[in-house]
Amino acid sequence: MSERVAQGFSIRREWGRTTHLLGTIGPGVIWIVLFLVLPSLYLISVAFMTNGPYGLPQMPLTLQSFRELAGFGFLGWSPGNLYTLLRSFWQTLIATGLVILIAYPLAYYISTQPSNRRALMLLIVVVPSWTNQVIRTFGWMNLMAPDTPLSDTAAVFGLIPPQLGLFPSSFAVIVGLVYNFLPFMVLPLYAAFEKMDHDIVAAANDLYATPVRVFRHAVLPQTLPGLMAGTVLVSIPAFGMYVIPELLGGGKSMMLGNLVARQFAEASNWPLGAAAALIMILATLGGLLILRRIGRKLGGGKEVVL
Amino acid sequence: MKRSRLNRSLQVFWYLALLFLYAPLAIVVTFSFNSTNTYAKFSGFSLRWYEKLLENEIILNAFYNSAVLAITSSALATVFGTALGYGIYRYRHLQLGWLIWIIYLPIVMPDIVYGISQMTFFVGVHQLTGFLQPDLGTMIIAHISFQVPFVALLIYSRLVQMDPLLFEATQDLYARPWQRAWYFVLPTLRAALISAFFLSFTLSIDDFVISFFTAGPESTTLPIFIWSAIKKGITPEINAISTLLIVTVFTAAAISFAIQRARPAQSRSSQ
Repeated sequence: MSERVAQGFSIRREWGRTTHLLGTIGPGVIWIVLFLVLPSLYLISVAFMTNGPYGLPQMPLTLQSFRELAGFGFLGWSPGNLYTLLRSFWQTLIATGLVILIAYPLAYYISTQPSNRRALMLLIVVVPSWTNQVIRTFGWMNLMAPDTPLSDTAAVFGLIPPQLGLFPSSFAVIVGLVYNFLPFMVLPLYAAFEKMDHDIVAAANDLYATPVRVFRHAVLPQTLPGLMAGTVLVSIPAFGMYVIPELLGGGKSMMLGNLVARQFAEASNWPLGAAAALIMILATLGGLLILRRIGRKLGGGKEVVL
Repeated sequence: MKRSRLNRSLQVFWYLALLFLYAPLAIVVTFSFNSTNTYAKFSGFSLRWYEKLLENEIILNAFYNSAVLAITSSALATVFGTALGYGIYRYRHLQLGWLIWIIYLPIVMPDIVYGISQMTFFVGVHQLTGFLQPDLGTMIIAHISFQVPFVALLIYSRLVQMDPLLFEATQDLYARPWQRAWYFVLPTLRAALISAFFLSFTLSIDDFVISFFTAGPESTTLPIFIWSAIKKGITPEINAISTLLIVTVFTAAAISFAIQRARPAQSRSSQ
């Protein structure tokens, strides 16, 4: 109320408000623009530059790097990069699907617990993801190494040759991705379950609906916003994953992130790496659009919704 | 009857999920106390790998770098992020939608894109001006950029829960902006500030990719050291360092949980 009164009061007041606005959001915004937005724009521009000696970008603007990304090199066309792109898509897709399957029962179970226990249970789910990604992935390397119970079991069932480990493989990469991103799905789904109207589910049960139909018509519509938010939070970073395919996958399970990194390290072709990174940036912006649309729907048109 | 069976199987599923979530960490911690350097089986309790850590100067240096990086960046990010979150809250009636986009950018952007954009930018600026040579300083800058949005969102969400009438009361009492900040906003946000710092701290400790691409030759941190050790061939010392990092993160998590637990109880008793 008084805010609005103050608004119309005097020019001096207005001036004070402007400095106050700049003083509060100014430093943070300037910091992010200077050290995040500008570098991102620079990276995008590098994608359109020529690859100079030592892999550093040079001036004449060209689409050469995009042609190389599509596989056209000195030796003619090769499908390697496109395979990597496709593999990034399907490994992300499978991992996201598995994360959804695991997260739904977990989020539901947590939401049915007494309220004083829920926060702790959520923390238990989230804390492993706060430890360093390299360490977590190293843990899986140990679990899936040759002569471990997991590898031996897989060998007994003839899934892998005996004396070999479960990694490097696409299987190991997907396990790593599921492990890494499970909490990012459990949290938004839990938030959706917490708000859910359980009477609708009870009504469906009373009407002798089969469990599948209860889920399809009573649970899914109510948890859809959480599911979509979780899907964005899982699939976009998974698509750009670097550490997990680098450690748990071999050359045959390489993803887009590894392709990018390689251009900045061994291969020394910054424009090509930047072009591949641009695809990820576009995927990121697409994900943000979806997230924002969900936020709008949930918040009834209000701006800030987490 | 049907319901209890569902609950029973959900409970089993919950414990299986816990096994899945904690097995990779448990194996690292367990083998850090192994007396031999085999991975196949645990052959006896020993602290020899921890003793080796203390003798290794590279590791001690990496530990120092990690600590400086995490503490400095978290402190600065808490300051910037708190001001930002407060600003977004105060001016939420203005059209600041574009700001939210900028804030969400580092949260959703893949680490690798983030790290590489930082690296190309720092290298470019360094070639032009001589500033921003990749070392601990550039790593601190990069870490602050991804910590600030998380802090801002945390502070914002805490402010939204607050009674807006309290703000008007400070205005009615003619408090100057700095007085309001010092005597009202900061004390109110104390718990949120502490958990924002711990959140930033864990984000920094957790990060590998961004550090990896913004680091210089002299600024190896523990995760970077672990990474290169894994790449070169595994030594059991990695288990010991990893265990120390796991313990650090779990402690930070426990502290921030305890603080958040304590807060509602306090506000209830004061009402």
